[in-house]
Amino acid sequence: MQEGLDLMPQIRDKARELLTSGAVDCVIGYERASDGLTARPLFAYEPNDVDKLIFDQTCAHNLARFLVNKRDSTVAIVAKPCDSRAINLLLAEKQIQRERVYVIGVVCPGIVEATWGQIGDKLQARCQLCREHTPLVYDFLVGEPPAEEPPAEPYHDVAEMEAKSAAEKHSFWAEQFARCIRCYACRQACPGCYCTECFAEQLDPLWVGIRIAPMENEVWHIIRAFHLAGRCIACNECERVCPVNIPLSLLNRKLEKDVLELFGFRSGLSAEAVPPLATFKKEERLGMSE
Amino acid sequence: MIEGYQPKIIGFLCNWCGYAGADLAGTSRITYPANIRVIRVPCSGRVDPLLVLKSFQRGADGVLIAGCHPGECHYVEGNYYTRRRFALFHPFLEYLGIEKERFRVEWVSASEGKKFSKLVSSFTEELAKLGPRREA
Amino acid sequence: MTQIISRKDLLSWLERLIGERIVIAPARSNGMVLFQRASRAEDIVLDFDNTALSPKESFLPLSEALFTVDKENGNIKLMPTTVDEETVFFGIRPCDARGMALIDAPLLAAPADALYQQHRARTTLIGLACSQAGPECFCTSMGIAPDDPSNVDIMLTKVDDSYIVQAITEKGKALLPSDLIAESEVMPPPAPSLQAVLTEGIVEVMPGVFEAPYWSRLADRCLHCNICAYVCPTCYCFDIRDYIDEGSIERVRSWESCQSPGFTRLAGGYDPRSTKGARLRQRFYHKLSYFPEHFGLIGCVGCGRCVRYCPVNIDIREVISDIQKLGAQSEC
Repeated sequence: MQEGLDLMPQIRDKARELLTSGAVDCVIGYERASDGLTARPLFAYEPNDVDKLIFDQTCAHNLARFLVNKRDSTVAIVAKPCDSRAINLLLAEKQIQRERVYVIGVVCPGIVEATWGQIGDKLQARCQLCREHTPLVYDFLVGEPPAEEPPAEPYHDVAEMEAKSAAEKHSFWAEQFARCIRCYACRQACPGCYCTECFAEQLDPLWVGIRIAPMENEVWHIIRAFHLAGRCIACNECERVCPVNIPLSLLNRKLEKDVLELFGFRSGLSAEAVPPLATFKKEERLGMSE
Repeated sequence: MIEGYQPKIIGFLCNWCGYAGADLAGTSRITYPANIRVIRVPCSGRVDPLLVLKSFQRGADGVLIAGCHPGECHYVEGNYYTRRRFALFHPFLEYLGIEKERFRVEWVSASEGKKFSKLVSSFTEELAKLGPRREA
Repeated sequence: MTQIISRKDLLSWLERLIGERIVIAPARSNGMVLFQRASRAEDIVLDFDNTALSPKESFLPLSEALFTVDKENGNIKLMPTTVDEETVFFGIRPCDARGMALIDAPLLAAPADALYQQHRARTTLIGLACSQAGPECFCTSMGIAPDDPSNVDIMLTKVDDSYIVQAITEKGKALLPSDLIAESEVMPPPAPSLQAVLTEGIVEVMPGVFEAPYWSRLADRCLHCNICAYVCPTCYCFDIRDYIDEGSIERVRSWESCQSPGFTRLAGGYDPRSTKGARLRQRFYHKLSYFPEHFGLIGCVGCGRCVRYCPVNIDIREVISDIQKLGAQSEC
């Protein structure tokens, strides 16, 4: 992990100031997890809680996921650049109010691969592909914005999958989906999955079905990914929390790539952007006949 | 080609154009293969990718969506959304191992009975060449 | 004198068993160790901390048809699912073996769950004592030792390159390969020591902290996924639905969890556990209060899977110690 990353005092001071003045009811940030190594979300309600706040390269969670739960109060949130894209998404989709969220933006050095009890020294794959190291929306910025350099080939693995034959693709995905235990952690960790009733829980018609079996799992994964088409902000929390290692980013990033190619759109870059499937251009053809 | 194999096609036809086009083919006595099972929808914009996926899961060899030509939607702009949605979903299906030939979005107006007939014929032929889908 | 089997002979025994019946054993798969049906002894993993998912899947499958419906000459016949094949479940850890014993309590109590009962009766459990403990392990706090042979048919304890073999039950004795077992004077190694969490008195403290604001604060970070319930060796909730499809009818049972949004939703829409705090609280009350009240034992075996896999680190050990503190405060 990088040394000299000392953003903690600034985050704590700001959080203390906000809680003491009563500007916010709660600060959503990170604290040390029970393994003493990794991080977990912290909800600080009292100025005394502030000293638990940390920020380092283990702070993986996309805390924007919690904002819809806190709609009725005013909160401050510690946001990495990817989390800030989720905040923009939620603002664009009118799920949260800008004036009720105070964003403590953090310049992010990238998050390392870690599981409970174990920290690796490699950056997460999504961080190796990251194009934004500075939050896109913030009220207070912590850290020095670096010069941004786009990654060389962000869709190398997607292209490899595309090149396979239909039979190969089919058996690859069948194997991945067969493993799913349908814990729905991928949905629950996602800042874009905020429906009060998910299609997977609709009873009539029963789109997905309660059976935890290949057919049902396939519907779940394909439609989950497609509901996030043009909305996914690539925090990759779904894949990180998956207990059976299903490569969900391969689905999400295929759609991300095609959205970029077809519509020239990346989600979460602004609070005003309309998701590409919620709009259209009359003159476009998109490879279809007239 | 497998001897005697008859592909199954699920057709989601919009009430105002695709379905009316199929109707015109019928009343004009223009024949087309009986391989298509028609589901009438109010607008091609109503077709959820979930319906397409479910069709494939339940044994369809091909899925067709037929709506009004862009600019001619009965609801003014429903089919513009269809176009975007399936321009994105089509390559996604292919990525998941469903050959791209198995899915079509076509614009068929109420006056295009002949076009509808040709469309179903060519789609059926193409699917017959491709053969049945692998069992899930 | 103890009976031992060499590592090599253990594998030949397993190979022999694979030829005779279904063998479920730990194997590597996509970066995890999971219990899977073994087709070759060489795929079986002998050295591992514990599997990612618990063994309960073999006895209470993710999804299983309870019965199918046959129509014959206009008559309708219910065809219950039966379990006919003998299975050997190899490599179960003492904590997980206790987990199975805990699930037995509600599911085998009269009227017993017929399908679960068959799975249990047709399976011989071969336990593997733990020679080391993971950082998430706390079985000793739940009254289980890392080499506890109580809930298995045969217990194996690793010593150097061999295993001490103990037949615990008659079923276990019948399975032992007498030709591969030797007498020896080796002593079992000391069991690893684990960090402890104070569970004494927790069952008594629970009723008094039901209304504590603690639960909704804890639920702030809970994602309400089902990971904890699905990796847990003692969670046994399920949902049932009839599948009617082109003439075939079956009643299917699948895992379900008290953390899912619709778990307690009633006809008419009312949900007595509609808030996140209430759902999360239910999980801990079931383990630490209701289960011990009914069956006499805490409904947790200290395997630590929920600790390891919870995406937001809701750590049951911390929860237990927080509750103890809350209980102590309310007494003052």
